[in-house]
Amino acid sequence: MSLELFLSQVVPVRSKLYRFAYRLLGDEEDAKDITQDALMKVWAMQGKMTELQNLEAWCMRITRNLALDKIKSRKYRIADTLDKASELPASHQKNPHAATERNEVMNKVHTAINALPEKYKSVMQLRDMDGLSYQEIADILDIDMNEVKVNLHRARKAVREKLQNQQVYGL
Amino acid sequence: MDYKSISALLEKYWDGESTLAEEAALKAFFSEPHPDMPEDLLEAAPLFQYLEEESAIRVPAEPEWDMSFLEETTVKTPPVVKMYPVKNWMKYAAIVLMAAGVGYGLKQHHASRQIAMEQLKEEEEARKAFIETKRALALLSRNLNKGTEKMQALSYFNTATEKLSVKD
Repeated sequence: MSLELFLSQVVPVRSKLYRFAYRLLGDEEDAKDITQDALMKVWAMQGKMTELQNLEAWCMRITRNLALDKIKSRKYRIADTLDKASELPASHQKNPHAATERNEVMNKVHTAINALPEKYKSVMQLRDMDGLSYQEIADILDIDMNEVKVNLHRARKAVREKLQNQQVYGL
Repeated sequence: MDYKSISALLEKYWDGESTLAEEAALKAFFSEPHPDMPEDLLEAAPLFQYLEEESAIRVPAEPEWDMSFLEETTVKTPPVVKMYPVKNWMKYAAIVLMAAGVGYGLKQHHASRQIAMEQLKEEEEARKAFIETKRALALLSRNLNKGTEKMQALSYFNTATEKLSVKD
């Protein structure tokens, strides 16, 4: 029964878990390790699988917790946007001055989001980057839906204020 | 472009009340250049451009997963143990004996408790009778003492009368 459930409900979402881990960690190898660990952990707790209403959210929660542990234990640093930008193909940087300016602005936004407390950052990432519904976020973070909305409001407000203070405006 | 409706959507976004469709509309709006954008929209542009870039970030190809743990730890169904009720007659006999023993013990306990209660009742009645007798004897003694005092006074009087009659 558990094996069938695992194959039908967990295996199909493993690519989603991998994407989620990659977004959190920013590293291919680490994302792979964390996803593998998450799958094994889910399987180890197979007794719980039948009791859960949202198995996917539970898997996401396990992946997230493992990724956060990894970040904490190794003082992980996600490569900043400037580094990412330097890896972009040359065709994206037709105008070097405009590209530098854009990178600078993106870097400021990245810093503003990264400086948020973990709970705000997670909510903002899950909503604004992964496009999840409030209920899905609530299930993944194991919090109330109203709390999701409150945290999202506070996160966006904090980012907005930081960008206003730094006078970061549209390009 | 209707900037007013975009501004209204943006306000909902800042308040954390926007729907996914509204957020998609905002992302679509900010993904294109708008030269005469009002200031409230201009301040949100970098954030939406960043979110667009992050959403579009290319995740590396999915690796090969090692699913061998499924085979290693698949829960083996425990062997079915057949029950033979007749074979276990000693168990059932022991259970019946134990139940009879417990029943007998309880009955004995109940009986001894009843005897103790009766004894207590008898003791209480004896104690009450003793108190009553004691009270009656005390009353008798008090009255007897009164009579003795009177008799003593009479005795003094007699003695005095006898002495006077002797002198005469």
